[in-house]
Amino acid sequence: MSRVITITSGKGGVGKTTTTANLGTALAIQGAKVAVVDADIGLRNLDVVMGLENRIVYDLVDVVEGRCRLRQALIKDKHFPDLCLLPAAQTRDKDAVSPDDMIALANQLRAEFDYVIFDSPAGIEAGFRNAIAGADEVLIVTTPEVSAVRDADRIIGLVEAFEKGHPRLILNRLKPRMVNRGEMMSVEDVLQILAIDLIGVVPDDEMIVTATNRGEVAVLDRGSLAGRAFNDIARRMKGEQVPFMVLEEQQGMLDRFFGMFGRRPRSSER
Amino acid sequence: MSNLIAIKGSKDGLRLQLDEAAEWPEVVEALRGQLSQGANFFHGAHIIVDIGERALAEDQLATLLDLMKQHGVRPESLASTARESRNAARAAGLTARPLTRAPEPEERGEAGFIARTVRSGQVLRHHGHVTVLGDVNAGGEIIAGGNVIVWGRLRGTVHAGALGDRAAIIGALELAPTQLRIADLIARSPEGGANNFAEIAFVENDQINVEAWDAYRK
Repeated sequence: MSRVITITSGKGGVGKTTTTANLGTALAIQGAKVAVVDADIGLRNLDVVMGLENRIVYDLVDVVEGRCRLRQALIKDKHFPDLCLLPAAQTRDKDAVSPDDMIALANQLRAEFDYVIFDSPAGIEAGFRNAIAGADEVLIVTTPEVSAVRDADRIIGLVEAFEKGHPRLILNRLKPRMVNRGEMMSVEDVLQILAIDLIGVVPDDEMIVTATNRGEVAVLDRGSLAGRAFNDIARRMKGEQVPFMVLEEQQGMLDRFFGMFGRRPRSSER
Repeated sequence: MSNLIAIKGSKDGLRLQLDEAAEWPEVVEALRGQLSQGANFFHGAHIIVDIGERALAEDQLATLLDLMKQHGVRPESLASTARESRNAARAAGLTARPLTRAPEPEERGEAGFIARTVRSGQVLRHHGHVTVLGDVNAGGEIIAGGNVIVWGRLRGTVHAGALGDRAAIIGALELAPTQLRIADLIARSPEGGANNFAEIAFVENDQINVEAWDAYRK
């Protein structure tokens, strides 16, 4: 049974696109057929993060407007032939498609893939509404910052109003040491406000930046803590029981933890 | 509230019922008094003006709309059994609704109850008392004609007695609001965290006070 999942957040810059690319790749590694769809029309990014920008011929709007077949617009991933990207149009805007178009597109993709993941644009307007139109379920990405959590709360209200069930939460870019010092909202603080189920916590990881710049994803890097967290989330999406990574250890423990991988932790302070 | 005016919540929006028998200038005066006490209650609401059997000429309707406009309120539609009133409404750019005189199904009464989180961007509006079983998050808003009780954490904004009733109270298990309003008064929380016990906000000496709920009880 195929599932259509939308990744959204309200606020921009909290890691929706990174999350989409990593979860899509992780699910493909785990053997599923996956399509990732960039629904951020006019500001496409997912192709860049996945390193597929130079292979784009047709895009989502071309498919919707009938200039090509869906198959022609889908781009195979560099590493996993069962992972495909449907890129956004860069020269158009959100009004180029309607929610009905997106539902039709989702259903077309559903026939060929096990997982269809839509990367939503930031905001609560037409682009967001398009991105969730065809979704069976919604994952909310937020970071432990007051403004991001506030926007996540707003989005959760809208997702519930659109009757997309209970969204689940990915808490991204947590810095355990700042939490330990009481300088950052903890997982519990965020959950107390948002009152939804948590599907994963992704620690802040500089490797995300370096991987993204190379057009690679962190889940392919065994040393990346964030990559491991995304892998765990993908398994939870499939219904597996995966214990949450222990992040909030004292520094000594963290050192030992990193020691197992033969590397020193990079400073997480900026 | 003047007995020439009644405010009812319905699934279509707020129904502003204006007495259909009294002299029109009297009704307008009564509404003027009501709006000066609590226009905020109406802001952003879908308002249906219900004038019953009254036949209104265009200039009489214009007086009403001018008054509402002064308070930043614009009704969405006008309901009347009189064709003349409905024509006047259309001329003024409002939706005209025919009014069936069959008794309306009485709405849920004088109190509203919801059991969920009121999230950022959500506005709950009710002409009577409101009870929330759940949190009211920052950015969420409750506007009530009567009292508001939050059985949960109140971090958003609550306006109780929004039709001008200073006797209204606001209670919450954890009172950490962005802002509290009772009738025409506004207060914001002091800096710093909330107390972890139930508190009640009420009006005393023209300002909003907060007390632990068992102290308030005495």
